[in-house]
Amino acid sequence: MHFFKKISIIIIVVSLVIIDRLPDSEDNEILIKDVVIDNSKDIKIIEFNQEINFDSLILKAIKKGIPLVFKVTLKVVEVNDIWPTKTIIKKIGYYQIEYKALRKVYRIEDINGNKYEYKYIDEAIQKILKVEDFKFLFIDNHMNNELWLNVALDRKKLPKPLQVNYFDRTWYMNSKKSIHKL
Amino acid sequence: MKYIITTAAFIGIALLILLAKAISNSDLISSDAFRILLGLNIFFICSLIILIAVQIFRLLQSIKKEITGSRLTLRLVLSFALMGIIPVLIVYLVSVNFLTKSIESWFDVKVESALEGGLTLGQKTIDILMSDIELKGKSIAYSIGNADTEQRYNILTDLRAKFGIQDAVIFDQDSKIIEVSSEKNNLIPSIPNIEDLERGGENFFGRIEEIKTGEIYLKAFIPIISNTLISKRLILQLTQPIPPSIANLALSVESVYEEYQQLTYSRNSLKIIYILTLTLVLLLALLSSVAASFVISRRFSSPLAMLADATRQISKGNYKKIISEQGKDEIGMLISSFNSMTSQLEVATKNSEKDRERLEIARTFLETILAHLTTGVIVIDDNRLIRLNNVSASKMLQNNESKMNDKPMRKIISKNSLFEPLNEYIETYIDDNKKNKKEISQEFRLKKDKKEKTIMLQITPLRDKKSTQYVLVIDDISEVTQAQRHSAWGEIARRLAHEIKNPLTPIQLSAERIQHKFSDKLSKADSIILERSTNIIVNQVNSLKIMVNEFAEYARPPKIQKDTIRIDTLVDEVIELYKIDKIIIIKKDKNIPIIYADQNKLRQVIINLIENSQDALKEIKNPKIKIFIRKKTNEVELIIEDNGVGIPDEIIGRIYEPYVTSKKTGTGLGLAIVHKIIEEHDGKIKIERINTSGTRVIIKLKSGKTNRNG
Repeated sequence: MHFFKKISIIIIVVSLVIIDRLPDSEDNEILIKDVVIDNSKDIKIIEFNQEINFDSLILKAIKKGIPLVFKVTLKVVEVNDIWPTKTIIKKIGYYQIEYKALRKVYRIEDINGNKYEYKYIDEAIQKILKVEDFKFLFIDNHMNNELWLNVALDRKKLPKPLQVNYFDRTWYMNSKKSIHKL
Repeated sequence: MKYIITTAAFIGIALLILLAKAISNSDLISSDAFRILLGLNIFFICSLIILIAVQIFRLLQSIKKEITGSRLTLRLVLSFALMGIIPVLIVYLVSVNFLTKSIESWFDVKVESALEGGLTLGQKTIDILMSDIELKGKSIAYSIGNADTEQRYNILTDLRAKFGIQDAVIFDQDSKIIEVSSEKNNLIPSIPNIEDLERGGENFFGRIEEIKTGEIYLKAFIPIISNTLISKRLILQLTQPIPPSIANLALSVESVYEEYQQLTYSRNSLKIIYILTLTLVLLLALLSSVAASFVISRRFSSPLAMLADATRQISKGNYKKIISEQGKDEIGMLISSFNSMTSQLEVATKNSEKDRERLEIARTFLETILAHLTTGVIVIDDNRLIRLNNVSASKMLQNNESKMNDKPMRKIISKNSLFEPLNEYIETYIDDNKKNKKEISQEFRLKKDKKEKTIMLQITPLRDKKSTQYVLVIDDISEVTQAQRHSAWGEIARRLAHEIKNPLTPIQLSAERIQHKFSDKLSKADSIILERSTNIIVNQVNSLKIMVNEFAEYARPPKIQKDTIRIDTLVDEVIELYKIDKIIIIKKDKNIPIIYADQNKLRQVIINLIENSQDALKEIKNPKIKIFIRKKTNEVELIIEDNGVGIPDEIIGRIYEPYVTSKKTGTGLGLAIVHKIIEEHDGKIKIERINTSGTRVIIKLKSGKTNRNG
């Protein structure tokens, strides 16, 4: 009992770390690049390109009709050297790619809900790699503001068997936090 | 610990139920709650493993320390664990196999082919519809292209209606609407994208659109080739819905096909998650049962361990060990019987202890008696080995060995050759009386060299079923026999005094009277003879009187008058009478204590002893009489020694007996009287020869104002 008491904290910590690390280890990385922010008006417009490694498994999954929904999280934060970072605006957008077997087309829905259909998967992928016209309202307060951008595959939109397969790292696609001055 | 294990077992069951519920709920399985539940299960399984490892470690430690019941607990744990593990493992393997095969069977090739066929059928139907609209569109485009501008609307409307097209719109290259014809009068056509118009401006281009859920439209773009010189190229757009029955079926097939494809792709994940869940369930069930088996095993083994411990305690003599009641089952009855037995044992032991104490007291009493007995007691067995002896026996046999037990009787007795006759007698007795054992006693007069002892030996056989032991009672009756002789001599002396003393005076008076009456009447010669004869008679009568008086003194009844006296003063007074000889040397300690004695009797003792010494010194050159008066513990010691001729060895053993003397003229009663007086004073007297010549008399008298014994 004494031995168990002594190691119980270690067990809890190790278990929590294992549980916490399960979905995050060795994710497929999404690279956000060429971020352009139109900062001229209160309604800001963002455009950016991405590099996503669609390996054969993912391409096969798309062809099998599995929809891939990507979640774009945009945050405007006020950075302070002393106080914790304060989130001023948070906006979430989705874009997705889906194969429609009946019509044999790849259907793209962009971040603004516009739908596009392509006969070939390469065209469709090219379309989703570029995010355009992502708008958000922000009135500049002349503080030390930053824009944080993150893109991740929304696992909750995957078929359930894939969601609960925590061991298949294919479906853990995430970008690093992309930080930009406003 | 048992509460922890019980709680863990309950938590395990609760987690099992939650996991089972979660796996059957498709919404829950994809939620974070399921992930947390999985994490909790894994954590709990890890905790259970550690808990069981700790239990095993502790159990092994207990076995190493040889704690009672630990081996039984291990055995029970292994049995319970095996009882749980084997069936659960079988169920697990069967379930996994069944599950895997079931999942595989879902994705049968026939099902996939059927779905693909259905989908293809839908696609072909749409393709046919598209071909149909292509033909109709081309016909309309041809007619419009050959018609005037004013007639275009009518032709468009007529042909649209004729072909059963829902909407027909003519755009120019700049996406400008030229003409619109629709089944719906208020149609506001949507502007197609430039890409579609560009493609449609060159050749037929058709596409399928799902405008609303469940509604599929065919959209065809056909270039209008005009015969008139019209600068701008026109594009005809036709929109025709696919009949709902066909559309619904096609979409339904598409939906099922997509789901099937998704499932096909996810089947490995499905297998993994189900196997993972099953494995977790297995581990939870197994580990919970193993953890519970520790509690159950301890529950079973603990009363037995307590019993074993109590048995050990009882074997060590602790009969107060009572085990707490353990229910009314067989083990409870066993414990109850054990407690009852322990109580009875305690009572029996107490009784035994009392008996033992009584025996011990009796033994101690017997040993004390034996130790204080002046009689020697020896117990020997059939093999003549000494089993028991008292101190007096050891002293009597003059054996220096502190322990005579287990030593041969013959060897012990033979150490003093004086007692050799006893050995022979005992051996003969045992050999002759092996069957018919009778108690016997025999007196032995043992004499060797200058030593003489009278021994009374009594042999009593002690017989039991297995063997016979012999109690030898050896009594030194030398002093008793001597006392008997003294008593006899006293009686003789008393009678002699009585019978002889009475006629002596008339004899003496008669002799004197004869001499007085006839001395004058006889001749001178006869008168001289008469005088000589009468003188001899008178002298002999006087000698007889002295002898009779001494006999009378020896035979007198013990009548002494004690008082507190100083022995050194008394010695001084007596020596004063013998001062002329100047041969007496006196040495005395300071502060000689007083004694309680008859002064006259003691004076007689001192006079007798000094006169004896004087007699022994008559023919000795440089005669000396030394008198020592010493102070001892509770005693006064008087020593009178001389360097005379000494006492011959032949008589030293009987020196206190009357008529035992080495002197030519002595009566032999002096030392007998001295011995008697000292005995009457409860004193001790010892006469011994000094190395070459001379005699030493040692008298010890008790000091104090009163004589404790009389």
